[in-house]
Amino acid sequence: MVTTIVRNVRRTRVRLVLTALMSLLVGGGVLAQSAPHGTLKVGMESPAKLDPAYASSDSEIAVLNAVYDYLVDVDANNNIQPRLATSWQVSQDGLTYTFELAKNATWHDGSSVTAQDVVYTFDRLRDPALKLPTSDLYSDIASVRATGTHQVTFTLKNTNPFFLYDLSDNHAVIVKKGTTQFGKTFDGSGPFVVQSYSPGDRMVLTANPHYFIAGKPGVAKLELIFFSDQAAEVAALRGGQIDVAMRLPSSLYQSLANVKGITRFDVPTNGFNVLRLRSDRKPGSDPRVIEALKLAVDRKAVTEAVTQGLGVVGNDTPIGPLYKKYYDASAVPPKTDPAKAKQLLKEAGYPNGLKLDLYTPNTGDRPDLAVVLKQQLAKAGFDIHVIVEPESVYYGDNKWLQVDFGITGWGSRPYPQFYLNVMLECGAKWNESHYCNQTFDQLAKEAGKTLDSQKRIEDYHKIQQMLATSGPIVIPYFFPQLGAIRTGFTDFQLKAFAGRTDLAAVHAP
Amino acid sequence: MASPAVSAPARRRGWVRGLRSLYARPSSALGTTLVAIFLALAVLGPLATPYGATEQVYTERSQPPSLRHLFGTDHLGRDVFSRVVAGDRDIFLLAGSGTLIAVVVGTLLGLLATYRGGWLEEVTYRFFDSLLAVPALLLALLLLGSLGPSRTSVLAVIAVAYTPIVARVVRSVVLDTKTKEYVLAARMQGESTAFILGREILPSVLPALAVESALRFSYSIFLVASLGFLGVGVQPPNPDWGLMVSEARDFVYITPWTLTFPALAISLLVIGVNLLADGLKRVLQVGVEP
Repeated sequence: MVTTIVRNVRRTRVRLVLTALMSLLVGGGVLAQSAPHGTLKVGMESPAKLDPAYASSDSEIAVLNAVYDYLVDVDANNNIQPRLATSWQVSQDGLTYTFELAKNATWHDGSSVTAQDVVYTFDRLRDPALKLPTSDLYSDIASVRATGTHQVTFTLKNTNPFFLYDLSDNHAVIVKKGTTQFGKTFDGSGPFVVQSYSPGDRMVLTANPHYFIAGKPGVAKLELIFFSDQAAEVAALRGGQIDVAMRLPSSLYQSLANVKGITRFDVPTNGFNVLRLRSDRKPGSDPRVIEALKLAVDRKAVTEAVTQGLGVVGNDTPIGPLYKKYYDASAVPPKTDPAKAKQLLKEAGYPNGLKLDLYTPNTGDRPDLAVVLKQQLAKAGFDIHVIVEPESVYYGDNKWLQVDFGITGWGSRPYPQFYLNVMLECGAKWNESHYCNQTFDQLAKEAGKTLDSQKRIEDYHKIQQMLATSGPIVIPYFFPQLGAIRTGFTDFQLKAFAGRTDLAAVHAP
Repeated sequence: MASPAVSAPARRRGWVRGLRSLYARPSSALGTTLVAIFLALAVLGPLATPYGATEQVYTERSQPPSLRHLFGTDHLGRDVFSRVVAGDRDIFLLAGSGTLIAVVVGTLLGLLATYRGGWLEEVTYRFFDSLLAVPALLLALLLLGSLGPSRTSVLAVIAVAYTPIVARVVRSVVLDTKTKEYVLAARMQGESTAFILGREILPSVLPALAVESALRFSYSIFLVASLGFLGVGVQPPNPDWGLMVSEARDFVYITPWTLTFPALAISLLVIGVNLLADGLKRVLQVGVEP
């Protein structure tokens, strides 16, 4: 036993000396691209569904992102980057996209990644008969064809300025042709190979030695360790049992300030909690009630209290400042005025105040938000009864689409069109506020089709003006993505959607 | 055992004697004092608190304990002392009335079913046995899952979870008493069942019942707090102790006082009630062979 250890130490020492010599010989530039070394241990919640078509939580996407590859990727600045596709061309009319795939990409079993695999992946995701959550997203694809061993051509029915972003959707990792055991076998092409998976406990992965992107992954071993409690996860980070924690609540993030050996990350996102009132029936069908609601909320105070000042104040529209030119800073909701709100409620037929049940899932800062809003709205004559429900009940029974008054969390997306299409268009799948406005629908449809970016910017600005003053939604703030890593690890770049953070880029000390 | 005619002064003297013997031992003295303090705070309630339990003052968020805020404030600027005191009244009302329902229903059913015997006893106790086979917390989660979280549901949960236990305690005493000669004599005289149960049997059940009630009360406090902690019981912003502990979990490093005080309140009250129950057991000589 003792001799083995000594031998191992000796062997390590020899290896160290060799590495040092080699680095002297070939210089520092090559050293950065040297073989993967060290272990990265990431804390996250336990993944439930690992079939790419159904995966949605950060931890589920993080697993997919480590094991598989997207056709194209989105970087931390919301720019499209090559991944399996090394280059692409778009036809003049904007209807045909041709992608060249990396020729040296292989599956973990050794066979090479071809255009057929990409066709298989997208034909599955868009097949209406399979009723997968992605079928709507890809309903505008006319065909996906292999036009060469390593060339794929997508043909669209309508122009879509955000098509590359759609291809980089969280669900759209490329799987091997013929795969059926999704979530059970993990034969990907990605930077890490699954060695063992104990559901509820951890997943152990090792570096893919044949990965086609040079210099990746940076670590030899990746351990994903599952926690059901974030306070426990942060305790593990403090104790050194894990190296990275993401999706932290602001309270735990702040508790890591000035902790030696831990570096914190605070990334602004377009993720938000929406307070919405059903607008298709009483009391929300009365515009005066909607206006009273908007007048009653002090968004700045809410942001201060609920996000501990870490959030960015919102203007009741899902198009936030991160979308730069699409964002219209002049679209602001009416100034907070509880007295005027009370008066409006009186005119709307609620002289003694309006009683409402406010439903909210029990995750993140949503219960806090509900409690803070309860007090603010009380000043304007709203009598709010808060009902906190487990996420599985609030979303599982589709309660969130039915209740009159509710708070719902929406994750950050790299482009704004998504929110308009699924959350606010008349009759949209997730239109929880049952908002239905023809002018809005026209603007949203046009913005989602036109290839003229100036036109699209104008449409988005008009939409923001409409929602800020009369939409049945209140978006008090955009929450930040908060994370922390043990000092010494380099090249960690936390993304707005934490699950898409590139763990393959990280280097161990 | 049966002493139907006790005069009022004699009864008062009994109380004083009881209290004095509770204070004869340090452990039960401590328990009685703790319960008395919590009870007094619950009765005084809003009179004892400087701020409203759900009142948020944004400018005074996350303040450490001071003279202004005895137990500090939480991340939304609510006074923790006021919340703990309001939660005290809540827990006495919820756990207290829940226990009361369990004790009354359990005693009535236990007396009647055991005394009558036969199929009534079989049906009642087999049903209670089946309820007892499920752990209280699991039963509570099942019930709350179907009733939805609210105060009334929590009350119902305590009643359903603890009625069978009370009924079993009653049964053990009734089985022993119902063959006693004075009971047989009353039956021979043709007294009604209600009279026999109320005047002949109930008095011998009372001491065991008093101890059991105290124990059930302490379990109820724990159950209410557990349900609040799991988020299926009392809903925010109500100052439920379990809920407060759950909300404070993520703040344990920055504002530890928001976790410490409600947790301490739960522990102290449960310990107090248990010590009191122990004392009662001794004073009333329950389970002691004569």
